[in-house]
Amino acid sequence: MTAIKTEVAGRTAAPPPRAPRRRAQGLQGSRKRAGWVMLAPALVHAAVFLLLPMVMLVALSFTDYQFLGAYHWVGIDNFVQLMSDDRWRTALLNTVLYTVVTVPIAMAVALLIALGLNSGIRARGAMRVLYYMPQVTATVAVATVWLWIYQPDVGLANSVLGLFGLPPQGWLTNPNLSLPSLMLVGVWQGLGAKMVVYLAALQSVSRDQLEAAQLDGANRWQTFWNVTWPALGPAHFFVFVTSTIASFQVFDLVFVMTKGGPGSSSTVMTYEIYENAFQGLQLGYAAAQSVVLVVLIGVFTLIGLRLQKVSSDV
Amino acid sequence: MSKRFAPSAVVAVAAIVALSACGSGSGSGGGADGNPTSASGTIRVLVPSYPASNEGKAALQKVIDAFHKTYPNVKVEPDFATFATLNEKISTSIASGQGYDVYVTGIGWIPPFASKGVFKDLGEFGVTNDNLNKGAAPALSAAEYNGKIYAVPLIFGPKPMAYSKKAFAAAGLDPSKAPQTWADLREDAIKLTKRDGGKLTQAGFDFWAPPTSYRQDFVTFLGALGQPLYKDGKPNFATPEGEKALNEMSSLINDDKVSDFGLASPDGQPLVFTGKAAMGVAGGYIDCAKVGQARCDDLTFFNLKEQDTAMFSGGQLASVGAQSQLPKASYDFIKLLSSPEAASDIAKLNFGVPAVDGADQLDVVKSNPASAFAATQLDHMVFEGGSTNWLEVRNNFGAQLDTVLLGKADAATVLQGLASK
Repeated sequence: MTAIKTEVAGRTAAPPPRAPRRRAQGLQGSRKRAGWVMLAPALVHAAVFLLLPMVMLVALSFTDYQFLGAYHWVGIDNFVQLMSDDRWRTALLNTVLYTVVTVPIAMAVALLIALGLNSGIRARGAMRVLYYMPQVTATVAVATVWLWIYQPDVGLANSVLGLFGLPPQGWLTNPNLSLPSLMLVGVWQGLGAKMVVYLAALQSVSRDQLEAAQLDGANRWQTFWNVTWPALGPAHFFVFVTSTIASFQVFDLVFVMTKGGPGSSSTVMTYEIYENAFQGLQLGYAAAQSVVLVVLIGVFTLIGLRLQKVSSDV
Repeated sequence: MSKRFAPSAVVAVAAIVALSACGSGSGSGGGADGNPTSASGTIRVLVPSYPASNEGKAALQKVIDAFHKTYPNVKVEPDFATFATLNEKISTSIASGQGYDVYVTGIGWIPPFASKGVFKDLGEFGVTNDNLNKGAAPALSAAEYNGKIYAVPLIFGPKPMAYSKKAFAAAGLDPSKAPQTWADLREDAIKLTKRDGGKLTQAGFDFWAPPTSYRQDFVTFLGALGQPLYKDGKPNFATPEGEKALNEMSSLINDDKVSDFGLASPDGQPLVFTGKAAMGVAGGYIDCAKVGQARCDDLTFFNLKEQDTAMFSGGQLASVGAQSQLPKASYDFIKLLSSPEAASDIAKLNFGVPAVDGADQLDVVKSNPASAFAATQLDHMVFEGGSTNWLEVRNNFGAQLDTVLLGKADAATVLQGLASK
């Protein structure tokens, strides 16, 4: 009875002004707390396994640490030395070149494949699996197969050239061909993941808009360019960023197939970092190289973000 | 990370290990070390000498069993690393304060690690130039740093040269007359080379080196001029002899075209063993059952002698970790590793020649013509390494030699650049 009376009184009398807001604030507060609690494991993980190593990495890049014995603060000496390191400069250029060539080509080919697979062709399920298989195959296995393909004497590549009467090539022994040969493997191996993202994005393109375009008399190109392409914006950005990061981190292909050679013709930044850190034991110097790599990846990601914004604004 | 290795991430993690573990001691366990029967604890042994196969594990177990007869309470914890990952293992173990008690490393590793205090001076165990087994003596220089001995050689990995007698006869050369000087080598190699429309069908001389791996060939050619790669820890290759050696190699590829740059067998075998080359650098072991007895019988092994006879050799050496809590037990384990029986097993598993006295009489050596020849030539071995910064320089050495062999740089500039590192 008391409760009912109170409720009736509450309905008739003017409500106290602060009570709901306080309740709302309390609710909001508890929601916030719940949010932080749920975020905590991820934050702790990020702090321990990402932030802390990054801070340590930066600190180490200013030392001459070599794993063994005492180490000293050397200021920016490692970064100054990087500027005059010809091999590092080559690795940097090769990495950027590898990224600039493989990312757009792989994106374009993956999009074409996704468009094909989205068009209701026969056995598209099997085709998707086939295209995705290189992605789930260990890179070392992929590289080993491609080593055979590129083998000068008995390799498939030179056999194909032979069919057309062309001379055999030293795919991995000719300094002008070694990096392009690696790029080809990189493009081929990365197609599956990009294709899947594009396929998912294509399947979420608005049917209404596509039909509207057709009703307006748009041909297939106009429909693609004016409806499908803009709808793929977020997918482009995602594929671009992840592919760029992956390209900057290319290591296993180089390690297995060329060891950066002949000379320095196919060396990349990650391979140089590995060599200096774990073969040359120059961890401080390798840390400085890693810092440069992180900054470069950040710059390229920002460029992608800007391009995405420009594209969506248009 | 699952698909692509990110060294920067590993470097970051290694940074944490490094900064947090600095100054910590060995984790090899404690225990008295003086009396073998009462000594207890664990010794961790880094043994790339034994592959992690059943065969490799069984061979190591024989050593461990022998060790336990003297040290019944000392556990042996092996790490079957490979030479490709050896530096990572050594560096990260020490950085994390968990250094090994016994390290098996290669030729060239001793000065860099000894100078950083990773290995113990074996003089503490009474090892001297005089009492080190005579079979190991040819590699003594590779085991020393600053006049002290830091390692016991276990096996050698020699690389003599070989030629096919049939190919010699077919080219109008005398099969009983091995080339000696560089001039002989070039003359013979040119006659032995066969090309079909530019495509190499038989190499006149095979360096047995894929790209970035011509370093050991350079050491051989330099050695044939009587010069080591390093002298008293200082570079000895930015010299007229070094230029001459590198230019000679370049001429064989670029002028005489007796081989193609980077030519290599898909299975890593020397091409003179597979028949793709008529002459070339060979390994110190040939499996006659695999290549066929006829091919084995067809090969003659030799070494170049421009001024001195020189045969490149790698090798495996064992050291005691400076952080070891059981140094005497660790050294006694090394003594067992370097016994003729264990060294023979290691040689068999690694296609090498045991670094023991009377190696040429051991079955593992007499079992094949390559080892039998190499064992008679151990006094002519030349090695790479010799400086404290060899591991830093080594990475770039092969790549820089490539630029000369590809005709993109001149020998003097490249060698001076390497010497200045």
